[in-house]
Amino acid sequence: MPLINNPEETALIKSANKILQENIREWGMYIALLVIIIIFTITTKGVFLSSRNISNLINQTGYIAVLAIGMTLVIIISHIDLSVGYLSGFLGAVAATAMEFWHWSAPLSIALIFALGILAGFLTGFLVGQMKIPAFVATLAGWLGYRGALQLVTMHRGTIVITNNFFNAIGNGYIPDLSFIPDVGFLRGIHKLTFLLGILVIIFYILSEINRRNRMLYHNFKVSPIHLFIVKLVLMSALIGVITWILSGYRGLSWTAVTVIVVVLFYHFIMNRTNLGRHIYAVGGNPEAAQLTGISVKRITYTVFCSMGILAALSGILYASRFKSATTTAGTLFELDAVAAAFVGGASPSGGIGKISGSIVGAFVMMSLTSGMNLMGIDISYQYVVRALVLVAAVVFDVATRNKKEEIT
Amino acid sequence: MIDRVPVVKMCNIKKNFGGVQALKGVDLVLHHNEILGLVGDNAAGKSTLMKILSGAYIPDEGEIFIEGKKINMASSRDAHHYGIEMLYQDLALANNLDVVANVFMGREKMNFKIGDIGILDEHYMERETERLLDRLKIDLASVRLKVESLSGGQRQAIAIARATAFNARVTIMDEPTAALSVAAIKKVLDLVKELKKQGNSIIIISHRIEDIYQVSDRMIVLRQGRKVCDTRVTGDIDTFREHVVAYIIGARDDYA
Repeated sequence: MPLINNPEETALIKSANKILQENIREWGMYIALLVIIIIFTITTKGVFLSSRNISNLINQTGYIAVLAIGMTLVIIISHIDLSVGYLSGFLGAVAATAMEFWHWSAPLSIALIFALGILAGFLTGFLVGQMKIPAFVATLAGWLGYRGALQLVTMHRGTIVITNNFFNAIGNGYIPDLSFIPDVGFLRGIHKLTFLLGILVIIFYILSEINRRNRMLYHNFKVSPIHLFIVKLVLMSALIGVITWILSGYRGLSWTAVTVIVVVLFYHFIMNRTNLGRHIYAVGGNPEAAQLTGISVKRITYTVFCSMGILAALSGILYASRFKSATTTAGTLFELDAVAAAFVGGASPSGGIGKISGSIVGAFVMMSLTSGMNLMGIDISYQYVVRALVLVAAVVFDVATRNKKEEIT
Repeated sequence: MIDRVPVVKMCNIKKNFGGVQALKGVDLVLHHNEILGLVGDNAAGKSTLMKILSGAYIPDEGEIFIEGKKINMASSRDAHHYGIEMLYQDLALANNLDVVANVFMGREKMNFKIGDIGILDEHYMERETERLLDRLKIDLASVRLKVESLSGGQRQAIAIARATAFNARVTIMDEPTAALSVAAIKKVLDLVKELKKQGNSIIIISHRIEDIYQVSDRMIVLRQGRKVCDTRVTGDIDTFREHVVAYIIGARDDYA
């Protein structure tokens, strides 16, 4: 006698299996993130999921997440940028120097390092796009150079302590609350603005998913059955809701989170809705074809590396501000976390493929690992090994599912 | 009367690469609504000649006339401007993008622009792509399919459709049937015939004389940088092939 004899139920399970198989690459990272969260929640007896830790985790992920977004674009055009970790550290130290020793205001210092970030990106773009030096080599030189520059800036004083309150708020502050909403009922001790924003995000998410589904139906694409679609909506909404609830219970949404959200939305828009994004994907998919249709591969290369430079500066700001100081080791290995985040998030090492949303999830995977293992008190040497394994697993998974997809077609 | 003026006329084109004379003074004429086959052995100069016409190379000597007007072709941008589209073998499409994105690659229609950057008008591009494929009788399940999921013949059809999509005056196809299955070759040749029916002027470079025989009105043979044969496509395939191959391999060399 079969275990399941209801034909409807069998069909449901079959279709669920099929959907899972077809979207396994996209879902893989969400599942990985979920598994990581569950494991750490159990091993830390719930501390991992506490409001305080999640809030910290988001602030920690911020400076890697912005780098991962820039790195995703670089990887899409089949390059890599190893220099951005120390560039981020170096630019953070420059900002600290400007504020503490030259007595510049915070906005002016920030403007300065954004300009320097663009300049650095322009330099990489020149080496890679103009001189045709492999990005690996050009940015390895950058890695050495910026590391030296960082040590030069911090040589005499060691750590530069930042005393500018405005600057430090970027990495430590939280958005203000709505004081006119009374502190009653379930809202007691809850950050109302954060709570409200969370609800808005859920509504926006549901509407955009329905819209997307309708568009796919219009184009005769196969979509998941309606009940699975609803399950997905409910699960994702619940996830956003839980995060919102956790954050509202602590101090609300941090400025770092706001910064990351703005950067994500901006880049998502550029990559999916504008001709610039289209050209970046085209150059990644087939540079010769792109060039022949009149897209300047050189210009795209410059643009992508300059955007990487700006985001490296932003990462430097987030990091220095979070620790209220610039240190000699700031930015160490950031570039590798960013590359790993992009790969975990589904970017393809052979170029042309990668999503902003994926890289953000990838960044959370990498930083959750770090945070969780720190909470568990795991020795740093083992932490590196675990992160290495996760990176390899992500790329192997990507290659394996891609090959499988090709076999089907 | 206007039809008597050839759409493209190339006179005495010469091109050297270092010490090697790739083209030693070649003339080429393409009439309106004509399909011209261009054949020759490797290094005969076919691709060089077509790269000159599409602006990728600049000739050392010689003149190019479009619709009877002498022009100065200095870049692929100039060629685009004059309505000359070159379709390269295997280089045409980005597999990671869908059909719409590929058809409009490099000339996306935009709603709103700041400088060079603008918001894509997906709706318009989708509709136009559907119309284009309809017109050329190319059958696809959806214009939003990624190119990597299409067959070789479908890809080549999309590439050809794109080259002709923007009212090209002349479309140059470099080996459009290379590396395709027999069924796919037939589809591509049908598409070329359809394009002629709709009034296009086309130059096809190919090793496959059978293919050119099926679709071309006229054929030019190049050998070692010179034109050695310029003939109408007539007679049965075997006689024709024998005739042309003699010129390709240099067994006959009696062109005035």
